[in-house]
Amino acid sequence: MSGAPIAVLQRVPLFAELDESELARVASVFKERRFSQGETVIQQGSGAAAFFVIDSGEVTVLVDGIERRVLQAGDYFGEMALIDAGARTATVKAATDLVCSGVTFWDFRPIVEENGVIGWKLLQTLIEIYRSERDGPPAPG
Amino acid sequence: MSEVVPLVAAEDTALFGSKAVGLGQALRDGLPVPPGVALAGAVVDAVAGRDEEAIRRVAESVAALHGPLAVRSSAVDEDGADASFAGQHLTLLNVRGAQKLTAAVSEVWWSANSDSAITYRQRVGLFTRPSVGVVIQALVDPETAGVMFTQNPVTGADERVIEASLGLGEAVVAGRVIPDHYRVSREGEILERTAGRKDVAFRSLADGGTFEEQVAPELVERLCLGDDQLAELNRLADRCEQVYGQARDIEWAISGGTLYLLQCRAVTRAGA
Repeated sequence: MSGAPIAVLQRVPLFAELDESELARVASVFKERRFSQGETVIQQGSGAAAFFVIDSGEVTVLVDGIERRVLQAGDYFGEMALIDAGARTATVKAATDLVCSGVTFWDFRPIVEENGVIGWKLLQTLIEIYRSERDGPPAPG
Repeated sequence: MSEVVPLVAAEDTALFGSKAVGLGQALRDGLPVPPGVALAGAVVDAVAGRDEEAIRRVAESVAALHGPLAVRSSAVDEDGADASFAGQHLTLLNVRGAQKLTAAVSEVWWSANSDSAITYRQRVGLFTRPSVGVVIQALVDPETAGVMFTQNPVTGADERVIEASLGLGEAVVAGRVIPDHYRVSREGEILERTAGRKDVAFRSLADGGTFEEQVAPELVERLCLGDDQLAELNRLADRCEQVYGQARDIEWAISGGTLYLLQCRAVTRAGA
């Protein structure tokens, strides 16, 4: 079966405002993609085509060749590719044999174009992310 | 119109892509192409999305091919643009079983939707969703295979240039061997035969995929094509030029003593 787990998509900040039926619509266009251990999944600096959720296996995330973190089943990467297909900010390599669910810019865009509610919620979320980046975390207490 | 057809019935490049239609035309013209089926871009998309009906249709369509398969991408031309996209030319050899076939078709879909393919599309100003067809053929498991130019691609001389090696032609295409090199005049005179250094041969694995086999030392520098085979290749070059026009770039294979045409396209010069 195709599709990404909705529970994972609920944790993606970009989708924070979407309800379950809207998340299900997004999840329905994911396609499975497999990588062998050692394969490069995405390359820093390359144009970005797809957002991935890890179904099984592990990846290492490298920035400028330095390992930054390990991601596992239920983790995700590359969500900004869905909006502007801009350059990848990190390299991701399969640390084990890897099964992902991915959705491309081309398949995501029609969902937004067909559904103004999803589009509007994404805009609101992007503004939230922008404000949080601009203003930093709220002061404690 | 059906979106899953025998290769011989693939006629619409907008549906099936240029490779499928080229091979379909070759079959219609009586050229010795291995049998196969063509999948339209929409079916490839559905299989990659694990649509059960699409998977079933594809599995049924290949039932008559028997044995291992070759799965190749067939880029769909868009707005007259050159569809020679990076990452869009993918060949998966020795695909066995329904699950592996679904995975192979998915891999072709992702090759057209990869970061490198999208980057290329943006660079050439293509902002539409990619579409890729698929050709599935019975796998030819050859004794000898290689490439042939119907005109010399370097000098432009009116002669056949043939490069040949042992096993699957990927050893030549991927540059893993120094192939035997032959030049044959249009009239069939053998102008040159130079043995290469064929240290490895690509072979099919019983459970799918390929491996590199070490070639027996006495065969490494022994010519792998005889006069009869060179004459047959020259006749194939004639026939391809009659059908497609001058200056063709041909991939061929000899299996069980039978010569097969795997691909025939216009010669592209370096930097073109």
